[in-house]
Amino acid sequence: MNASGIKLGLGFYTALFIVFLYGPLAILAVLSFQIGPEGGPQFPIIEWSTYWYKHLFGLTPPSRIAPLPIEQALVRSLALAVMTMIVSTVLGVTAAQAFRKKFRGSGVVFYLIVLGMMVPGVLVGLGMALVANTLGIDRHWWGTAFVLHVVYTFPFAFLVMLAIFNRFDPSVEEAAWSLGVTPARTFRKVTFPLIFPGVLSAMLFAFTLSYDEFSRTLFASGRDLTLPLAIYGTFSVEVHPNVFAFGVLTTLFSFALLGTYAVLMGLSVRRAKRVAIQEEA
Amino acid sequence: MIFDLELNCVGKVYDNGTPAVIDFNLSVSKGEFIAFLGPSGCGKTTTLRMIAGFEGISSGDMLIRGERVNDVPPQRRPTSMIFQNYALFPHMSVRRNVGYGLEVKGVAKADREAKVDRILATLGLEDIAERKPEKLSGGQRQRIALARGLVVEPDILLLDEPLGALDANLRKAIQNELKLLQKSLGVTFIFVTHAQSEALALSDRIVVMNQGRVEQVSPPHQLYTRPNTPFVAQFIGRNTVLPGEVAGSEGEDVVVTTGIGTLSGRANGALANRRRVNLVVPAEAIEVHAADEGVLAGAKNRIDARIERSEVVGHIAHLTARLQDGRAVSLEAHVDKYRPGAFPAGTPVLLSWNPAEATVIPAH
Repeated sequence: MNASGIKLGLGFYTALFIVFLYGPLAILAVLSFQIGPEGGPQFPIIEWSTYWYKHLFGLTPPSRIAPLPIEQALVRSLALAVMTMIVSTVLGVTAAQAFRKKFRGSGVVFYLIVLGMMVPGVLVGLGMALVANTLGIDRHWWGTAFVLHVVYTFPFAFLVMLAIFNRFDPSVEEAAWSLGVTPARTFRKVTFPLIFPGVLSAMLFAFTLSYDEFSRTLFASGRDLTLPLAIYGTFSVEVHPNVFAFGVLTTLFSFALLGTYAVLMGLSVRRAKRVAIQEEA
Repeated sequence: MIFDLELNCVGKVYDNGTPAVIDFNLSVSKGEFIAFLGPSGCGKTTTLRMIAGFEGISSGDMLIRGERVNDVPPQRRPTSMIFQNYALFPHMSVRRNVGYGLEVKGVAKADREAKVDRILATLGLEDIAERKPEKLSGGQRQRIALARGLVVEPDILLLDEPLGALDANLRKAIQNELKLLQKSLGVTFIFVTHAQSEALALSDRIVVMNQGRVEQVSPPHQLYTRPNTPFVAQFIGRNTVLPGEVAGSEGEDVVVTTGIGTLSGRANGALANRRRVNLVVPAEAIEVHAADEGVLAGAKNRIDARIERSEVVGHIAHLTARLQDGRAVSLEAHVDKYRPGAFPAGTPVLLSWNPAEATVIPAH
């Protein structure tokens, strides 16, 4: 087989891979445009329409299909994801900074942190529920579930920052110290701007993982449901294409988030340049 | 008298118990240019980092301008460090890099700008002041690092192999600039290098280190011509080291019995009644004569040898001769002295030297 043949084969394989990866998503997207309320989540498409999108926002005449109970759940999930993102990123950055120097017991602490993302979510969720029960603590999405979200996402933020610090040249910090800059100011003015792209990545990880989280939240969130739980709840009755319509919107939201990330990343580079020029003017 | 820098029995032991620096003693006067010279892992960079405050001191005392600084953190020491990789702040322009030290010290803006402008002009950096360091050449970044370190007016400038990342021609040019700059500013420089040519060309005194210990502290010429220890004799220049025993003295010369005859040289300091010594003969001090010249009968420091190899590199002729006991001797001279082909391999020769140019040192 010649080189161009191998190239062709690999190209075909990759195309196939992508079809399998994104095929289900594409089918969901297609089915979300099914006519409603009589059309179901199956082929063929009876007629193309945006009925289920309107249905999501309560813009359709009342029918036997109840609107998705997601309004409050969406707000909760976003709030929880933001809280988790902030706390996990701060913890991740500071913990990774601590790990730049070897300290007694650093190996044990490392595995304890990483354990948070390795243990099965259902077990941790159940455990948290039992502990809360025993101690008489009420379970809430902003309490018990929030703690579990941090325990779960903190290791991701930590590992991202650890990798960033691994490639970080410590002599830049030493140069600042030797110019008379205090360690605290060096961290703010020299270290942080240089690791900022990594911090953005850690934030993105924490946010998306928390926003998506199901198994830990299932047992630990108490009465008020988060978005994944609310959606799962609707499945147990009957699946309608309104869920797919919502899935499409969520995916678009994720893309928007990624877009924001890319823009921020670009800005952080541009901003550093501009600040440098401004401050000397 | 107050020294700019004093190290009294300074030692460094790493957490795992390995000693990195042992009993380092040194007093540096204001405006001196000191080089720490030694092979990799000899402790020279560790000592420099202890002076900067980046490494803790395990034992002994370090004083800067008479004040003990053992426990003073780096940002409060009157030192400034130049790194081999320059360690410029990539997110700041050249001008801001240079001015940052003054900025955090709270120097007023007008004053700060004036100082930055002056140092940028001194180092020829005005044209690139608004650029980002990442786009600049090694030589330019080297100058920016120097400007950044010098603008804060440190008592002591510490340089960690600052020329190591530059190509040979640029290194020569910056080496000269560095020397001129140091003389005109009168700032004390401590310069770490593993290249003896740099140390010999730049410094007022050289500290040769080996395995954590100071072997010798001397001005370059003295270090080159009068090594104190076998290590220095091997490390600096191209010397032949001949072990032997002291047999007596003749005027200023010490007579040494070696495996290849009775030879003589000048003692470097007191030999403290040592019997076992080394005779150090520099490659360029040895004269080569045809074995049948005969005129040397009766002359001192005569050894029979056989030429093994000869090569000419530019204007220098390098010869290697083999002694009767199998030892190899390096010889070096201007090419005018040993014309190519004058001593082909295999030629039996007589080697001799002026006793004043050979040095007798204790054997360990």
